[in-house]
Amino acid sequence: MEETPAEVYERREIVRAEGIRKTFSLSRKQRLIEKSKEKKKVALDGLSFTAYEGEIYGLLGPNGAGKTTMLRILATLIRPDAGDAYVAGHSVLKEADKVRASIGFLTSELKLEDFFTPSYLFDFFGKLHGMEGAALARRKEELFAKFGIDRFAEVKVGDLSTGMKQKASIAVSIIHDPSVIIFDEPTNGLDVLTAKTVTDFLQEAKAQGKSILLSTHIFSLVEKLCDRVGVIIGGRMAAEGTLAEVSGGKPLEDAFFDIYKRTVTGV
Amino acid sequence: MKNVLAVLKKEFARFFRDKRLVVGTLILPGLLIFVLYTVLGSVIYSPAESYTVLAVRPSAAFSALLDESSFTVTEIGEEEIGEAKKEVLGGSADLLAVFPENFDDLLSEGGFAPVGQAPNVELWYDSSSVSSSSAYSAAAAALDALEEGVSNRFDVNISAGGDLVSAAEAEASYFAMLLPFLILTFLYSGCMGIAPESIAGEKERGTIATLLVTPIKRSELVIGKILSLSALSALSAVGSFIGTFLALPRLAGGSIGDALSAYSVGEYFALFAVMISAVLIIVSLISMLSAYAKSVKEAASLCVPLMIVVMLIGISTMFFTTSAPAVFLIPVYNCVQVMAEIFSLRFSALHLLIALASNLVYIALLVWALTKMFKSEKVVFNR
Repeated sequence: MEETPAEVYERREIVRAEGIRKTFSLSRKQRLIEKSKEKKKVALDGLSFTAYEGEIYGLLGPNGAGKTTMLRILATLIRPDAGDAYVAGHSVLKEADKVRASIGFLTSELKLEDFFTPSYLFDFFGKLHGMEGAALARRKEELFAKFGIDRFAEVKVGDLSTGMKQKASIAVSIIHDPSVIIFDEPTNGLDVLTAKTVTDFLQEAKAQGKSILLSTHIFSLVEKLCDRVGVIIGGRMAAEGTLAEVSGGKPLEDAFFDIYKRTVTGV
Repeated sequence: MKNVLAVLKKEFARFFRDKRLVVGTLILPGLLIFVLYTVLGSVIYSPAESYTVLAVRPSAAFSALLDESSFTVTEIGEEEIGEAKKEVLGGSADLLAVFPENFDDLLSEGGFAPVGQAPNVELWYDSSSVSSSSAYSAAAAALDALEEGVSNRFDVNISAGGDLVSAAEAEASYFAMLLPFLILTFLYSGCMGIAPESIAGEKERGTIATLLVTPIKRSELVIGKILSLSALSALSAVGSFIGTFLALPRLAGGSIGDALSAYSVGEYFALFAVMISAVLIIVSLISMLSAYAKSVKEAASLCVPLMIVVMLIGISTMFFTTSAPAVFLIPVYNCVQVMAEIFSLRFSALHLLIALASNLVYIALLVWALTKMFKSEKVVFNR
């Protein structure tokens, strides 16, 4: 069967991970905590997956499965021990600068400096993305209005509420209007109203044709947002497909526990 | 380059918009140094107090040599010696002098007796009391002068002789010992006040990762940080230096202004160049320690051993100076040596060039190493 050009376009790869392996060395203290004698902990064990342009791809998995590690590799903050990943056609190993220029990355570990105001930081990060003058000012106005930061634009980040901080972080992460948005647990620790702002934003970004990769352990978020899902357990891809394929007619939560049982016990 | 400037501007904004940082690193150290040195100076050069000397069989020649305005000599009897010692210990008197019989006659007779067989003057004092010690020193000096007058075989530096260096040069060599140490210490402490906060602090608070996911190159970030921190450390050092400049005359008794006018414009340029290279090296070193540390606290404690090393190098000019060109390849030490040469009016362009060129290489290496560290996840994420 021949694919029509439209289908080819729809299936264009935007993020591809190929056999990513990542181990961390454990300190003596960490070994005690983990009750393990191994000096290395395998965080990712040959993980491969593909996200296509214009879709929301969800990495679903329990804590410690390796979701954050995978996203950090995609953001070029850390390097894989083996394998390579491509974002918008650029290798995270060889073209880290270009990868960073094409993604908007958000995780709870990336903080904004408490001392500065959202307005100042927006300008600063805008400049690092090569934006200037009127274009930067327009973008600031647009994003600040969208997230309701305008009233707090001149308040120091340290004095903002958790929700407002998260909104400011989102605004800063997408200053350069990236084609790929990578969010790590975007709604964690947020109240329902702020969480809704975030999910609304993600849906809107998808409508604009952005490609979105997010990690979460919240089933409802996946069901609400994601087109395709990859279930990561113990650093490996346990199941991957469209939301319907992965859930197999059951609620996602039940389907996940089936997959989990199958993977962990091998039954 | 644009990114370097952006980082530079942000670091400056972080510093100058924070009143506490500005006061704490630019103004306070200079002010404290000024107050401390002024107080120390006024203690050291305080006018002589008045001393009470108890004397058994007081000598007129001896009393005449003592400054009348500060010494009061009271005659006591031999039977009162025990009581007088107690008074010296108790602080109500400063010195007890017991002269042999006919002391003034001995002086006019002259003559010579071997040590141990000559008539003895007893001076009793309390070394734990400052005023008693001073009184003892003055009395001992007066007695020495008397003895010399009696048995004069030769004079020293009375008809001719003296210091071959001019007064300016003598003052210059004094500053040559002191200033490199002070400058290095000020540069180091200025940097220690800012760099750990700017690098380990950003790491600790997770704000550096936000920077690292932008397209900025790690090397641009490192250069921006080092340049801004160097400028701020230099500013802080200038603050401390002004404090010293104003207070040193009170401490040292000389005028630092007179000494400083002894140097040429070229020498000041050389001094400036050497200080800039010193500050860049120090900032790079502290930045590396800060990048390695998990927190600002850890960074600060890691800086202490390095500070001791730098201070020891700073005082090295007080003990030895050298002109072997190879020495000017040693980082930090070469800065101290070149500064000492400038201050003691022995400036050598060759030494300056060797020092600057080698420092440039070290700075490049340190920037390269720091860039490597910023690329390493072990460094950026070990919290």
